[in-house]
Amino acid sequence: MSIPDYMQCAEDHQTVLVVVQPVGIVPEDQFFKIYKRIASVSQVSIRDSQRLLYIRYRHHYLPENNEWGDFQTHRKVVGLVSITTCDSAKDWPQTSERFHGQKEVYSSTLYDSRLMVFGLQGEIAEQQRTDVAFYPSFEESPDVERRVEDFVESIFIVLESKRLDRATDKSGDKTPLLCVPFEKKDFVGLDTDSRHYKKRCQGRMRKHVGDLCLQAGMLQDALVHYHMAVELLRGVNDFLWLGAALEGLCSASVIFHYPGGTGKLAGRKPSVSQAADTGKRHRPGAQEVLIDPGALTANGISADTSTEIGRAKNCLSPEDIIEKYKEAISYYGKYKNAGVIELEACVKAVRVLAIQKRAREASEFLQNAVYINLGQLSEEEKIQRYSILSELYELIGFHRKSAFFKRVAAMQCVAPTIPEPGWRACYKLLLETLPGYSLSLDPKDFSKGPHRGWAAVQVRLLHELVYASRRMGNPALSVRHLSFLLQTMLDFLSDQEKKEVTQSLENYTSKCPGGMEVITLPDGMKLPPVPFTKLPIVRSVKLLNLPITLRPHKVKGLLGQNMSTASPFIYSPIIMHNRSDERCKKIDFQWVQGDVCEVQLMVYNPMPYELRVENMGLLTSGVEFESLPAALSLPAESGLYPVTLVGVPRTAGNITINGYHTSVFGVTSECLLETLPTVKTSGCLVEVIPSLPRLQLSTSLPRSTHTVQSMSKEELCSSVSVQLFNGEKQQMTITLENIGSEEIQTLELTSKIVSTKEKVFGEFLSWDLEDALSHLPLKPGQAVTLTVGIKVKLDFSGQESLLQDLNEDGISVTGLPISSPLRQVLKARSESKSVSSESGKTEYSHVKTLEAVLNFKYSGGVGKVEGYYKELSLGVHVDVEPSVFFTRVSTLPATSTRQCHLLLDIFNPTEHELTVSAKNNQELVLHASECQRMAIQVDKFDFESLPQPDHETVHFSNPKQLEEERLHAQGGQINSKLGICCAYSAVLLNQIHPSLERDGEASVEGVLNQLVLEHLQLAPLQWDVLVNGKPCDCDIIADCNVGVAVTLEVKLTNRSKNPVGPLALTVMPYQDFQNGVQNYDLEDAVTFIGSNTFNIDTVKPRESSVCEGALLFLYTGDFYLNIKFQDDSAGRALPLAWFTLPSVHLRALEAPLQAGA
Amino acid sequence: MFGDSIRKCLAGLQGTQTWRVGIAVIAKENYPLYIRSVASQSELKFHYTVHTSLDVVEEKISAVGKSLGDQRELYLGLLYPTEDYKVYGYVTNSKVKFVIVVDSSNTSLRDNEIRSMFRKLHNSFTDVMCNPFHNPGDPIQSKAFDGIVSGMMVQTG
Repeated sequence: MSIPDYMQCAEDHQTVLVVVQPVGIVPEDQFFKIYKRIASVSQVSIRDSQRLLYIRYRHHYLPENNEWGDFQTHRKVVGLVSITTCDSAKDWPQTSERFHGQKEVYSSTLYDSRLMVFGLQGEIAEQQRTDVAFYPSFEESPDVERRVEDFVESIFIVLESKRLDRATDKSGDKTPLLCVPFEKKDFVGLDTDSRHYKKRCQGRMRKHVGDLCLQAGMLQDALVHYHMAVELLRGVNDFLWLGAALEGLCSASVIFHYPGGTGKLAGRKPSVSQAADTGKRHRPGAQEVLIDPGALTANGISADTSTEIGRAKNCLSPEDIIEKYKEAISYYGKYKNAGVIELEACVKAVRVLAIQKRAREASEFLQNAVYINLGQLSEEEKIQRYSILSELYELIGFHRKSAFFKRVAAMQCVAPTIPEPGWRACYKLLLETLPGYSLSLDPKDFSKGPHRGWAAVQVRLLHELVYASRRMGNPALSVRHLSFLLQTMLDFLSDQEKKEVTQSLENYTSKCPGGMEVITLPDGMKLPPVPFTKLPIVRSVKLLNLPITLRPHKVKGLLGQNMSTASPFIYSPIIMHNRSDERCKKIDFQWVQGDVCEVQLMVYNPMPYELRVENMGLLTSGVEFESLPAALSLPAESGLYPVTLVGVPRTAGNITINGYHTSVFGVTSECLLETLPTVKTSGCLVEVIPSLPRLQLSTSLPRSTHTVQSMSKEELCSSVSVQLFNGEKQQMTITLENIGSEEIQTLELTSKIVSTKEKVFGEFLSWDLEDALSHLPLKPGQAVTLTVGIKVKLDFSGQESLLQDLNEDGISVTGLPISSPLRQVLKARSESKSVSSESGKTEYSHVKTLEAVLNFKYSGGVGKVEGYYKELSLGVHVDVEPSVFFTRVSTLPATSTRQCHLLLDIFNPTEHELTVSAKNNQELVLHASECQRMAIQVDKFDFESLPQPDHETVHFSNPKQLEEERLHAQGGQINSKLGICCAYSAVLLNQIHPSLERDGEASVEGVLNQLVLEHLQLAPLQWDVLVNGKPCDCDIIADCNVGVAVTLEVKLTNRSKNPVGPLALTVMPYQDFQNGVQNYDLEDAVTFIGSNTFNIDTVKPRESSVCEGALLFLYTGDFYLNIKFQDDSAGRALPLAWFTLPSVHLRALEAPLQAGA
Repeated sequence: MFGDSIRKCLAGLQGTQTWRVGIAVIAKENYPLYIRSVASQSELKFHYTVHTSLDVVEEKISAVGKSLGDQRELYLGLLYPTEDYKVYGYVTNSKVKFVIVVDSSNTSLRDNEIRSMFRKLHNSFTDVMCNPFHNPGDPIQSKAFDGIVSGMMVQTG
């Protein structure tokens, strides 16, 4: 007996063994179908008695094992059922012969046998026999079960008779000695008459009877017999049989205590769940055995207490069962040849302990079982043994031990001694060890929390899985396992191991690239895909806004509408908490359909060598998205490394970035962000708006690297820079090309001067958009040009410090008297601020900068319909070099009251010679650093005609601000008007540089101070003096004749807001001798016709008043008329300047007759 | 013998040399915090031994937990003897396990010595845990702990 039956359990002791075998040619599937039907009759209740007979069926049983039948009767084959096919009656005798041959094999132990013949139709030659049943076919065999039951009953009859025979055979003087096969030769020549021998015979027989009783369903009797056997055999030190008797006792007790069985593992593939189930399941048949009508009634009241007491006494307690098992096993252990018995006893004991939940003691039994030597085992037997050990460990909850033995079994499958290694079996067994090492092949289980389980052994197991699957010839599997190993165990691999693993992975993937599909094993196990989320590790995912030039903007009005649709309430204290995940949060910028959008990932390479990531792209949903994959190479142990993945949304809507895909070492992986809790992201949902056109801008001016202040570089699409002299103009041509796929339908252009401390006069940038707009809509590929004029006009006034510099440099400032008080003051100041003069010097030669931003707004296509537009900004940077300075401005009254002289001290700070010209072609050549005075005759200005400040602005400011605002607005307006006026009066400066040939225009706008302005102002009261009806002013000499009355007309036009007057004017004629002496005593030379005093009544605003008088010159000569105010009661309130009347120059001539003389 | 075949099987995998003594600290979640054995060549075998011994440890803990509650003996005693080594276990109140594996031939070690070894180990482990820079659950990299273990190895091995 060499092959143990690992499936045995304690209650098998009460079964009878029936072998079911095919005879002749029987199709295997048909045989097993019939076998299954036969095996379904596992217990038969015997008609007359209330006992149950349990049957154990085997389709294969070694005759060698049968020889141990006397030792333990459940090992004895007592029944044989042969199944055969027979096509014709002719074959029948032959078949019958074979059946008899088969019976011979087990003839020594067989109680009864049956033959089932299938396929024989028609006449049966032989007479009806009880042990043969004929069926026309495998399908038409309705009474197989019934026949088996009959058969079992016949077996029972034999069993019962044997039991009774042996049990009552006490008195017989010659008790035969039962013995196991290996004992037979030991007893040869032994004294059969000795007491010792007799006792041994009796003891063994007792034990045998006990077995029979147990099989026959008489548990109580069996216990009694076993007890007696134990007593007898202990006395004669017959250890093997003593062990058997003890085991019998245990078995009977187990049957009593655990009617549910101790883990009869059904079928060939016992599973854990089944084993657990059996413990709970209650076999109704077993219950019936227990409730013996002679011993126990259903309600627990014993009819015969004595038997009950007896049973309790005879039956072992659960603790005792284990003790007795231990003892039995120790006795078995004394016999080398009883290894199988010992092993099986161990297995049975373990099953009992598993029921009792005494795992530790069970493990001791198993530990013992490991060391039982069964001689030379075949490889297959070894595998079987390791597997069963593993299962038993599993049964007692020692998952790790179980996994260990399963792994050993797996290794045994491919032991080098086996000619044909069973890699498939090995792989299958290895897979079964996974739970024991708390390893699942789903990478998701590893993504959360710290690593679970024992990494060192897990790595080993995974390596073995990889190797086994490779040897199985399934490279896809090995790639999957290897990927899993790399992904989950990365932290536990040494650098060398990482290198090896990746190398072999690359080897495998060269033959079979790894993918994302689920691999299903033949046994239905699914291997989920392993995305390489650690190769490289992604730390953060950030969706990038479009570059500023491509960013869409929403038209304001439409935005408001959108907001109102969100909630009917303008404000609600209940904030709608967005409980959804942070990742789902919508990002507050938009992407544009058709434009390249970017997502920035911060990646990290944990490997000790360069990592090549290929085909890295984005996984998106919601919108058709064309991902443009990137390939990258990350240096070894790189720090965080930014990677930008790009793609183009092809439709509009909401797009969600779900993750990214990579291809590393030939394994493509799709990593979803939701499975990566460590990835930081600020949201993955972004709106894609319909397509908008794209505009490209190019200019005639060179691009600059200057960035416009207060604007980051990326905010501008480009910027140009140019260097100009103050006052110079330049044209810039901007070419706008539609490089998108949509038509440009609208175009707007605005400009903004970036806040500068310099004061800018005039329009810095000017353009005419009409021409460009006429080209709209601009089709893709078309271009339009636009000319923008750049005019720089900064302050031309010389700084105070500049003046000082000039003074100290010894440059004479013409027009400033040396001893003038101002000069003194300036001098004093310069001394006190001598330190600052240095900085002042740098300031005046300092190149000032002027910056502005040109903003193009354009839109078109579907995006325009949705209310979006794009902006394109062009920064304009101008370095303004100083051209001229007006260091000092003053006025001189001109001869006419309507005019005056503007005196400008012009300084040339450049290193070039320049020519300055004013409107009336006065040209002044200034050498470098030269200062000269220039006088320009200008007409006085009329400020009163300025329009009133805009009422709009007044409306929207609070009262306090209002006043300031108005003052400021007025001042500004006056200034600007003045500027225009000045430009109109045109201080034209042609800065002609000999080498540069550049010209510009300077303005005095900022230079004029209040005093000068007053001088330049036209008085609100306008006086016109007419002599003989001719206007007379300044240099005009009115001619008149002596003796002829000359009419004098004085006209006052009131342009002020208030009524003026009444006024009195006195006309005083005088003669100027041109030597500073004026002769007013002309009473005899000039006479007034009428009064020499004019009275003017109140003149209302916008009205005029005329008063007339007449003069009569008595002598010839040059006369002047001085018109003075006589009565100034009203005039006092008004500034004197308002009353400057032109002096009238009259030349009295001889009468026309004497004119020739 | 059957046991031999297992040993052979293991030996075939991990080299022939066996360790003489080994000490392991295992976290509550049953992963190793610290593993040290004298012979490094058969380290994996040592891993397997300690790993499988956890079955017994868990069994013992669950058995004790039911009966006594807080008044629990930390020392678990001999977990299981095999032909060539003995495995002893010790569990702290926070369910951190210490396992000491000694050669079966080493008869000089009595139960008491093993007990004191465990106590020493526990004290040192407590020190490690007291380190504010140590993150519980991380593998132990303390030099002091290493020193204590080395001392024990020399003493017993």
